[in-house]
Amino acid sequence: MRGPRITLPDGSAEPSHEDSRPLRTAFAFELEQLRLQIEVMALRVDEALQRSTTVLLTGDLDLAEKVIASDDDIDDMLVSLTERCYDLLGRQNPVASDLRLVVSVIRILSDLERSGDLCLRIVKLAPDHDLIKSNLGTYGILREMATEAQELFRTAIKAWSTRDLHLAKTLEERDDAMDAHNRALMEGIMMMQGPGAVPMAVKTLLAGRALERIADHSVMIGERLRYMLTGNPESLSAEIRPTRRAGGNATSQGF
Amino acid sequence: MNTRTTTKGDRTTQRRVEVDASRHGGFAEKELVFEIKDLSVYYGSFKAVRDVDLVIHKSAITALIGPSGCGKTTFIRCLNRMNDLIDTARVEGEIKYHGVNLYDKKVDAVEVRRRVGMVFQKPNPFPKSIYDNISFGPKISGFKGNMDELVEQALVKAALWDEVKDRLKESAMGLSGGQQQRLCIARCVAVEPDVILMDEPCSALDPIATGRIEDLMQDIKNDYSIVIVTHNMQQAARVSDMTAFFTAEVNEEQDRRTGVLVEYDKTENIFQTPSDERTENYVTGRFG
Repeated sequence: MRGPRITLPDGSAEPSHEDSRPLRTAFAFELEQLRLQIEVMALRVDEALQRSTTVLLTGDLDLAEKVIASDDDIDDMLVSLTERCYDLLGRQNPVASDLRLVVSVIRILSDLERSGDLCLRIVKLAPDHDLIKSNLGTYGILREMATEAQELFRTAIKAWSTRDLHLAKTLEERDDAMDAHNRALMEGIMMMQGPGAVPMAVKTLLAGRALERIADHSVMIGERLRYMLTGNPESLSAEIRPTRRAGGNATSQGF
Repeated sequence: MNTRTTTKGDRTTQRRVEVDASRHGGFAEKELVFEIKDLSVYYGSFKAVRDVDLVIHKSAITALIGPSGCGKTTFIRCLNRMNDLIDTARVEGEIKYHGVNLYDKKVDAVEVRRRVGMVFQKPNPFPKSIYDNISFGPKISGFKGNMDELVEQALVKAALWDEVKDRLKESAMGLSGGQQQRLCIARCVAVEPDVILMDEPCSALDPIATGRIEDLMQDIKNDYSIVIVTHNMQQAARVSDMTAFFTAEVNEEQDRRTGVLVEYDKTENIFQTPSDERTENYVTGRFG
């Protein structure tokens, strides 16, 4: 049986021949650039996430506008980096760890873009800040969820930039905390009563849902990284697991 | 098939080559054509290839890849005893062909070469007619049946019939390079072999002729087991079911390079998740 073996796409694996010399250096440089560009894009999403958390906690409409405007940059990055990946696939025929890097990047790009969009959903709730805040129980849970989502997302970026397999593995375990928060939030929403209960429930649900999905995308980024580093096909089922897990307790997931 | 393990030497670069049968997928159950154990080949005192352990599956295309001088051609020439023709060449270890020791004294090398045909890098038709090129082999092996039919069948199998059916009596030298190579495959097929060895069959051909040969390989692989040496890694990735990666490592005693088998696995594994760093570096084209 094969144990997990980490191969780095930038060719830093030591060659075994004494007289080997690096080849295809321009291609290696392009792959490294791609990896760094993902990091840059992830940092932009991280900024958006941090700001949307602030908007959720303060209802700052100006900041909400800024987040909405900056999402265009994230979308542009998605398009140009996807093009670059397709170009590399077409011209360079990447194989082995190079291929795993490019295909993982293509999928991480959409995780990042989706996370950016989910931040927009949160900031669009800025006018309803007072309403969401008026239920202290669910508002408290949302704050914790926002913190948790930020931490998961940052862990995912850190794992990517340091190519840390161990850190990537921890993401999935940490997502369980988010699921627990989400269940508590649903219970809180079900208990809402009074004349404003329906709008309050809907807005709280929207915010909670967005935060939970951002956490899921962070876990997926971790799985893509694991696939990239190890080639283990088990890491390809990142999307499947949450739904299967939800199979048993669909109501508590808000469906 | 059981997991095969070879333990090699004590140098750090001499790792164990493990062929994990579970990674061979559907091929693990298939019949084996060749079982090669601890094969080393010498030219005089020089060890050209050492300690190769490999199995060739029936009705599969097996590709041998690796840098120049890693022993791919030396290895493939052992499979039909072509190395017998070189005075200084000597083979150690065991090659079983359908369970029979290929190098047993009782085995007739000529019969081996009839059953295990070979197609070379450069097309090498005889300077005779297209028809004669095909009929030559069957004639000398005593074929008594309908020669016209046999020639047609061989040319159909080699996907050349439609292009040459009206000029069978013309010289084979008038064919294009790609056609000549398909003629050589037809010539090989005409003697009803069991295995076809191909030593860089497309390296002298353009991409379209190469595509035709690759299609042809897929068409005939159920009837013949194919072993192909190729420098074109994309070709190995496209056509083969199994891939063996060889490399040359410095032989300190002789200050020369000796070929070793680094990794042998399903082709998809070699090109997506190779197990050995040397394979990774070679297929990505990162070090050379």
